[in-house]
Amino acid sequence: MTSAAAPKQAGAGRHPNPRIRRAAAVVGIGHTDWVGDWKRTRAGEKPTDSLGYGMGAFVNALADSGIERSMIDGLIVGPTTAYERLAELLGINPRWGDQADAVLSVLQAVQAIESGFADVVALVYGNDQRSVGTQYGGPDAMGGNAFLSYVYHAPWGLTSQGALYALTLQAYKHAHGFTERELGEVAVAQRAWSSMNPNAIMRERITVDDYMASRYVCEPLHLFDYCLINDGGVALIIAEASIAKRIGKKPPVYIEAAGRSDLNHGATSLEPRLTDFYLPAQQAVAQQVFDLAGMGPKDMDVFQVYDSFSVHVPLALEGYGYCAVGEAGKFLRESGVGPGGKLPTNTSGGHLSETYMQGWAHQIECVRQVRGECGERQVENCRNVHYSSDVAGKAVSIVYSR
Amino acid sequence: MNAADIRTPRRVMGLYDKPMWESVDQKAMKLQRCTRCGSFQYPPGPGCPACLCMELEWVPVSGRATILSWVVFHRQYLPAYPAPYNSIAVRLEEGPIMISNLEGEKPSGSWIGERVRLVYVTMPDGVVLPRFELDR
Repeated sequence: MTSAAAPKQAGAGRHPNPRIRRAAAVVGIGHTDWVGDWKRTRAGEKPTDSLGYGMGAFVNALADSGIERSMIDGLIVGPTTAYERLAELLGINPRWGDQADAVLSVLQAVQAIESGFADVVALVYGNDQRSVGTQYGGPDAMGGNAFLSYVYHAPWGLTSQGALYALTLQAYKHAHGFTERELGEVAVAQRAWSSMNPNAIMRERITVDDYMASRYVCEPLHLFDYCLINDGGVALIIAEASIAKRIGKKPPVYIEAAGRSDLNHGATSLEPRLTDFYLPAQQAVAQQVFDLAGMGPKDMDVFQVYDSFSVHVPLALEGYGYCAVGEAGKFLRESGVGPGGKLPTNTSGGHLSETYMQGWAHQIECVRQVRGECGERQVENCRNVHYSSDVAGKAVSIVYSR
Repeated sequence: MNAADIRTPRRVMGLYDKPMWESVDQKAMKLQRCTRCGSFQYPPGPGCPACLCMELEWVPVSGRATILSWVVFHRQYLPAYPAPYNSIAVRLEEGPIMISNLEGEKPSGSWIGERVRLVYVTMPDGVVLPRFELDR
């Protein structure tokens, strides 16, 4: 990088040390019975708590990996369970431990492994958000302690995460001539994927006309633009690459590249969402991960996008260079992100239709696509999967590869 | 329920928010301006993010702003806000973005780019909110 071309956006032109490339691989994945627990919680039952969902997912990930629990020497738990109590229940005394969200858990596991703090790391998430009625809006919104924007605007009735993304969409529509019908393509495509996924909660196919006929929740967002709220758990086991090859029951899925770039300027009053549409951060991360992997968007067989709301998808298509800036609407209409489309995206159905595991289930869908375990929805000869998360302007990205 | 029992959703009231809300109560909203670089900030805070100067002064805002985005809630989340109601994001003349509501007449097409001016609305429970109306 020359100083004359010094970029303004954090991380543009810089990528992590190439040592992290293929330093670690996923050897096990597991999750709970999202569909069954959806029915049970909707019927007023309480199958278990957040700890129990995490534990159940861990048991399944351990079985998938074929390794012994005693081999695990690192542990990361999700933000919804206390670290110590979950570690106690899992019976793990690691030599390294932490707590993080989905995408940062994977990055931290890679960092711990690369630097020798751990060799085999379990990542465990459990959340009983549906059965306990977790509030994602209002003056006491979940996450308000970490993100002031989630609670600061409550006096004016701007509550709910959906409202933040509805404001983004309205400004984005105006800037690029993007239409609601074009946004509808996201929900329609993801439902087409989930119709082929036995683990998905919502499997009935919909059309763009169904989408347009659905009610607004926070206009311009329709009901189908919103994620589900359900109970469940997800777990992954990530090992140092040479160990992964030796111990795993299945072929390792490598973490090929990762990167991050933040937009914090004006974050509380939503500036990164309203004027930048997260674009500079995503472009900087795209440069990091694609440079590190020695690949580009055309090498990605599947795209997975953190989709608390469908709006994330067009923003990510532009931000990561899958289409030109301002052309996501055309891409969604003409190239397509559903089955048979140019860029298979959120092939499980994502947060909108499969399960809302706050990015954790996306990681195991990445692994399943690379392994070739996705059955009817499997993308043929899938070698590389790109994951993007841009929650609150913190763009983070991972490439998973064979 | 009496109208006066309907509470305005709680304001975040940190150390630096209090002087701002006091100025709103007096219907002369002030924001902090950096004494070194002149940048305004919202929400209020301990120092200037632009130049890290810790010396800020409270200055009345002009009340002039432009709409950056808007939404209409079709679902009621809060007792004080029966649906449908709007929220807007405005760019204050001083620079910062602020979230609020549009009072009175609404534009017929897109609201984006409409000029608005600050008004003070007293909620049923007595809380004064800075809101905006079209400036035509």
